Amino acid sequence: MLSIMKLSERGNKIMSILKAVKLHKSYGNKNNKQHVLKGIDLSVEKGEFISIMGASGSGKTTLLNVLSSIDQVSEGTIHINSFEMTAMKEKQLAEFRKNHLGFIFQDYNLLDTLTVKENILLPLSITKTPKKEAEKKFEQVATELGISEIKDKYPNEISGGQKQRTSAARAFIHEPSIIFADEPTGALDSKSASDLLNKLSGLNENRQATILMVTHDPVAASYCSRVVFIKDGQIYTQLMKGEQDRQSFFKDIMKTQGVLGGVHHEH
Amino acid sequence: MNINQLIFRNLKKNLRNYYLYVFALVFSSALYFAFVTLQYDPSMDAVEGSVKGEAAIRAASILLVVIVSVFLLYANNIFIKRRSKEIGLFQLIGMTKSKIFRILSIENLFLYFGSLLIGIFAGFSFSKLMILVLFKTTGVDSIASLRFSPQALLQTVLVFTAIYLLIMIMNYTFIKRQTILSLFRVTSSTEITVKKLSRFEMVMGIVGLVLITTGYIVSSKLFGGDFTTMPQLFGAMIFILTAVILGTYFFYKGSVSFLLNLIRKRKGGYLSINEVMSLASVMFRMKSNALLLMIITTVSALSIALLCLAYISYYSAEKTAEKNVPHDFSIIDRESADTFQSALKKNNIPYSEKSIEVVQVTVNASQLIDRSLDELTINPKAMPLPLISEKSVSGMEVSRDEVVFTGYDDLLQKFMPLKNSGTIKIKGKTETLTQRYVGLEDIYPVSWYFTAGGVPTAIVDDAIFKKMKKDIDPKVQKESSLYIGVDIKNKEQLEKADKLFKSTETYKKLYNESRHEISTNQKKNMGLMMFIVGFLGLTFLVTSGCILYFKQMDEGESEKPNYMILRKLGYTQSDLLKGIQYKQLFNFGIPLVVGLLHSYFAVQSGWFLFGAELWTPMIIVMVMYTILYSIFGVLSVLYYKKVVREAL
Repeated sequence: MLSIMKLSERGNKIMSILKAVKLHKSYGNKNNKQHVLKGIDLSVEKGEFISIMGASGSGKTTLLNVLSSIDQVSEGTIHINSFEMTAMKEKQLAEFRKNHLGFIFQDYNLLDTLTVKENILLPLSITKTPKKEAEKKFEQVATELGISEIKDKYPNEISGGQKQRTSAARAFIHEPSIIFADEPTGALDSKSASDLLNKLSGLNENRQATILMVTHDPVAASYCSRVVFIKDGQIYTQLMKGEQDRQSFFKDIMKTQGVLGGVHHEH
Repeated sequence: MNINQLIFRNLKKNLRNYYLYVFALVFSSALYFAFVTLQYDPSMDAVEGSVKGEAAIRAASILLVVIVSVFLLYANNIFIKRRSKEIGLFQLIGMTKSKIFRILSIENLFLYFGSLLIGIFAGFSFSKLMILVLFKTTGVDSIASLRFSPQALLQTVLVFTAIYLLIMIMNYTFIKRQTILSLFRVTSSTEITVKKLSRFEMVMGIVGLVLITTGYIVSSKLFGGDFTTMPQLFGAMIFILTAVILGTYFFYKGSVSFLLNLIRKRKGGYLSINEVMSLASVMFRMKSNALLLMIITTVSALSIALLCLAYISYYSAEKTAEKNVPHDFSIIDRESADTFQSALKKNNIPYSEKSIEVVQVTVNASQLIDRSLDELTINPKAMPLPLISEKSVSGMEVSRDEVVFTGYDDLLQKFMPLKNSGTIKIKGKTETLTQRYVGLEDIYPVSWYFTAGGVPTAIVDDAIFKKMKKDIDPKVQKESSLYIGVDIKNKEQLEKADKLFKSTETYKKLYNESRHEISTNQKKNMGLMMFIVGFLGLTFLVTSGCILYFKQMDEGESEKPNYMILRKLGYTQSDLLKGIQYKQLFNFGIPLVVGLLHSYFAVQSGWFLFGAELWTPMIIVMVMYTILYSIFGVLSVLYYKKVVREAL
């Protein structure tokens, strides 16, 4: 790990946070095998905001699950922050998740018996962060996401957009190496969605946070710096935003999606 | 797949899920059958002859039916709700409601009568054990032989068929009432609404605590002398019951959330995993189960208290007998004593005799007692008391102007407490002596014939006693003024002596008594009482434990998504399991602790009416109850373990 870091410093290269090599995943038994991932290579650099797009059944959710250690690969290796996740046991994985990973889900996944603040502080409570420090971090992230006012409310007392921002705050608060977002705008109206995406890209820039998002919404994808398209368990192509603005990047994405075929615009 | 296969598959699936329901069903039918078998068994005559066992057992069996049917109906209610989606699905694919009802009925028929059959077999073998226990506790010497009773079988089958029909009616109305849409929407019974604690709930929480505390305080003063007339006493009891039961309801409805909320506020949003799992969830869930928890708590408090009291009375049978009959045999006339003693001599049973002269005097003790008990027609200004000389009690020294009281009944003391000092006036026929009262002793020198069952015996200087003896008021005298106590030197011969005593003329005369007999009689009565309360309590414990467990099963299923979130966040299975154990400590612990507290105060307020020993029997009963009850908590944790494992 040390040598990698030195190398990257010397070469002035950006270090890669996530490196997945030849991922294969199949379900079922011998007679009825379903090959979902067919050899995916992916690397994500620090500070990148990357999105993965693909039709239903293309394998994008499975990819997210294996990358985020919730599911296991059948073949291949995944390194996050130079730790080889594919070699870890259940307990180590839990340990790893609590320190290095953050999650944002389509259906928010907030505990409805906890207030907004309590939900957000959960990741710090697992790592037994001192209370004072936790309080400071909370203030910071809550201000950034604009949810200080609702911190004592319960999830069923706030709107969907607020819930998703709460979920985002929970993902960011412990400054994980990488944040996985699974269709974060899927259940939001377009205003709340763009609001959230602005906040996410803001956090991405201010905190140099690495975000990997799965979506089938081209608008959401256009906020990212890179879009990876998946088809039938393989990487089909990828687009870089580069210097262009969001509008033209959005057009590019639409075009690729059209070529990809079978992807229907659902929004 | 045809209907039969469908039924069979459902049955298999349900058996796995509801093994505890099946167990409870088997258990309760076994217990019922055992009870009814006892009722019809000829060997019970030995018990019945002395203590009217049949009536008691019949009453118990009716209670048993009530508990069991309430439980089965309740459990069925939980299960049918859980299966509402399945029922909705059947309807969606075109089954008629009556067809669905038929499927459910047949499925239940197998499950129910299968368990009943096992239960009856188990109950039959169980009843032999039960009768052994019964004979052991009541001290009846008889050989426990059991016949299979067709009558008992018929009764059991009839009762349980009736319960089955009730269940079917319930299912039928449930299915009839529902539309497909609502079936899909029927939420599990533990669904919670999470809201901020309202002011109303806070007030309710505080009121609940206040009510329970007031009830406890009044109960500790119940026999403290504040309530002396029967209507007052009765009113106080009603008040305690209402305050505590209502308080318990408010406690679950408001106090639990109120208290937990206070703890939670202090954390400032920073909760540990244990707190996340327990505080946050218990706070909201207890509220929605308030009524159920109140009933469970009240009935368990009742059964623990009854069990404690019965055991106290059983446990202290000997001590109570000692108070009433201070020697192995108490005899109140010379002639009877001689008859008995010569019989003892003839049988080579060595004994010792203690005879005490007792005169009855009228005492004005108004300086010592400042209240009169109209109900007991005792007037402190003119109380008839037995008087004995200091010489009759070994080691007792009383000077000429003094008087010592001894052997004052605990219960009477509660109603008419004695002051520590003062003077009393002892009236003979002509003369009145004024003596200085110097204290109360705990010796019972003469039998209850002389003390009217509870008043203290006055001890004076021998010279004073001789003086009073010459000046007795014939109006207050009892027939006998001589107490003869006979002690058997070798206690191993006591039973033989007791038999001898019963065979002589002495026994036929009223007030000649054997301590052994009194104590065995008490044990017999209390043994049967304990036996019945014990088994009823056990049934209740099992059924209420099952209900709490079912509730937890539901809760576990509905919290599964939360466990998934927590595991994704990086909590390990063992982290979660620790939190769950903590949570079950609340879920099972709170009703248990409240129930134990209730029963403690209930027992505390009146235990002395039942016996002489409080702590040992009470603690034994409570510990046993706690252990049995905890089993269900442990089972629920095991269930949660499965839920957590499957969550990710």
